[in-house]
Amino acid sequence: MNTITLHNTLPNVFAGRGDNGSEIWLREVTLERGMHYLISAESGTGKSSLCSYLYGYRTDYSGTMAFDGRDIRQLSVAEWCEVRTHHIAYLAQDMKLFAELTALENIMLKNSITHHKSQQEIVRMMEMLGIGDKVNSLVAKLSIGQQQRVAIIRTLCQPCDFILLDEPVSHLDDQNNAIVAQMVTDEAQRQGAGIISTSVGNNVKISVDKEFKL
Amino acid sequence: MSKSDNNYSTKHLKWKLLRKHISPAQLAGFSLASLIGLTIVILAVQFHQDVRPIFDDEESFIKKDYLIITRAVSTAGTLLGANNEFSQAAIDDIQAQPWCRKVGKFSSNDYSLYATIGVGGGNSMGTMLFFESIPTEFIDVADSDWKFDPSKPEIPVIMSRDYLSLYNFGFAASQGLPQVSEGIISKVPLEFTLRGNGHNDNLKGHIVGFSNRLNTIVVPQDFMKWSNERYGSGLDRNPSRLIVEVNSPGDVKMQTYLEEHGYQVAGEKMQQGKAQYFLTLVVSIVIVVGIIISLLAFFVLMLSIYLLLQKNTKKLQDMLLLGYSPTEVARPYINMVLAINAVVLVIAIVLMLLARAYYLPMLQAMGTSGGTIVVALIVAVIIMLLISVGNVIAIRRKINALWIQQS
Repeated sequence: MNTITLHNTLPNVFAGRGDNGSEIWLREVTLERGMHYLISAESGTGKSSLCSYLYGYRTDYSGTMAFDGRDIRQLSVAEWCEVRTHHIAYLAQDMKLFAELTALENIMLKNSITHHKSQQEIVRMMEMLGIGDKVNSLVAKLSIGQQQRVAIIRTLCQPCDFILLDEPVSHLDDQNNAIVAQMVTDEAQRQGAGIISTSVGNNVKISVDKEFKL
Repeated sequence: MSKSDNNYSTKHLKWKLLRKHISPAQLAGFSLASLIGLTIVILAVQFHQDVRPIFDDEESFIKKDYLIITRAVSTAGTLLGANNEFSQAAIDDIQAQPWCRKVGKFSSNDYSLYATIGVGGGNSMGTMLFFESIPTEFIDVADSDWKFDPSKPEIPVIMSRDYLSLYNFGFAASQGLPQVSEGIISKVPLEFTLRGNGHNDNLKGHIVGFSNRLNTIVVPQDFMKWSNERYGSGLDRNPSRLIVEVNSPGDVKMQTYLEEHGYQVAGEKMQQGKAQYFLTLVVSIVIVVGIIISLLAFFVLMLSIYLLLQKNTKKLQDMLLLGYSPTEVARPYINMVLAINAVVLVIAIVLMLLARAYYLPMLQAMGTSGGTIVVALIVAVIIMLLISVGNVIAIRRKINALWIQQS
């Protein structure tokens, strides 16, 4: 997948509000593989909605979104599974971790279908982010910041063309923010993937090619 | 695969995640209800299979739908010397009834008959006797001996099985005589003394078969004609018994007709028609009850699974977002249900076979070794397949419905 295009897209809940100056909604936007994008937004401007549309689990929008020119409303369930395991790596704002599994189990749940990283690599990433001692801790017992780091590692455990991060560092200190930024950038570079990151203020410290105001 | 690898396998992690909220009590309830329902259905089917031979009785000499009718003998009739014969007009009237296919007359011997049987050691038993004959088409026996040749006179006889029972269980038992099997008695030479019309002959005979239905001693019609001409008075007598081939032994119109004319049905054929009808009715009711229980069990399971999926909705949706397909997410639940159904199927069949082993000796006492178990097994498998397919479709639909989330 090389491009993601948005054509005149608008969440249904915003219908009839008129143009509010967004650089995404009701615009013609093309996101390219290999580029780094920041979508900065205020709360309630449809940031998470945008991510959910791009990941195929919500369809309550007007206009068209397309992967390589193909309308994503046409994608079959099997094609979406392919997108979610091979083309777009997604970190949801609410992380969507499973509280009853350990940190490592959460990551392995993803990695066991993609086989993208070895268990050693994963543990090393956890150590880099300062949660090496939490490998076998239940996610429910971790702090929000620790959970966020688990979720980021899980997101990187797949081949991808785009890495879609919904407020990836909202709960991280500067030091971890920098490590995450490095880790994501490295992974994107290895795969030639684009990065699409959203933020309400606390930006991930990644060099940005283009910034959109939502 | 090492243990740690195994601990992080997709299957293990999925099950660890999705088994939460599974209610063992609900599943046990479903399993029990399903087991009871299925067992009832297949036991009823099996019982029907086992009991049916008693009614069908393929070995019977007389085909299925034959009745033997006589006029009722009343005390007044005996005193007044009323005759119990069927006039030709009465026979024609029966023949004209819609339920009647064919009428055959019983003719009996018109001379004195004495039978002797050797019981070994030079001893012999003898008794006055009678013969009856009916047209051969009413006798369903493919026995080449069933004919009579005057030039080589030997009399083939079909005897009521009841007579042998009377001898074995009544007479022989009380007199300390040996009991005899059908095979042995068929080999014992009989001697008949026929006397009348100036003749007095000894003829040999043997038993070619036993009948459950014909409550008499039957000889071929050729012999009856020949012997009545030779030893009889020459008078043409009307028959006192008729054999009637009917469409259905349980026919109500037929029963009304027989009652109105004061005819009696010998043997159990008509009651049997009713009994068979009631057997089918009862078995059908039991099967319906079993199916209703199975259906209820099916819905209990569906409710239980829906509840389970409902409670796990968030988790299932999050798994779909990780890239698991609905099929993969559904698999642990589908496997669980299929495993339960398979166990229920096996236990139901075992229970059915146990129950059968319990009742079969009683049926064997009635002279049948039971029917095939294949039908019941097929029914069991088909029902479980239908239930399983229903379960699988319901689970998949429910999980597919989670694919698109509401905002």
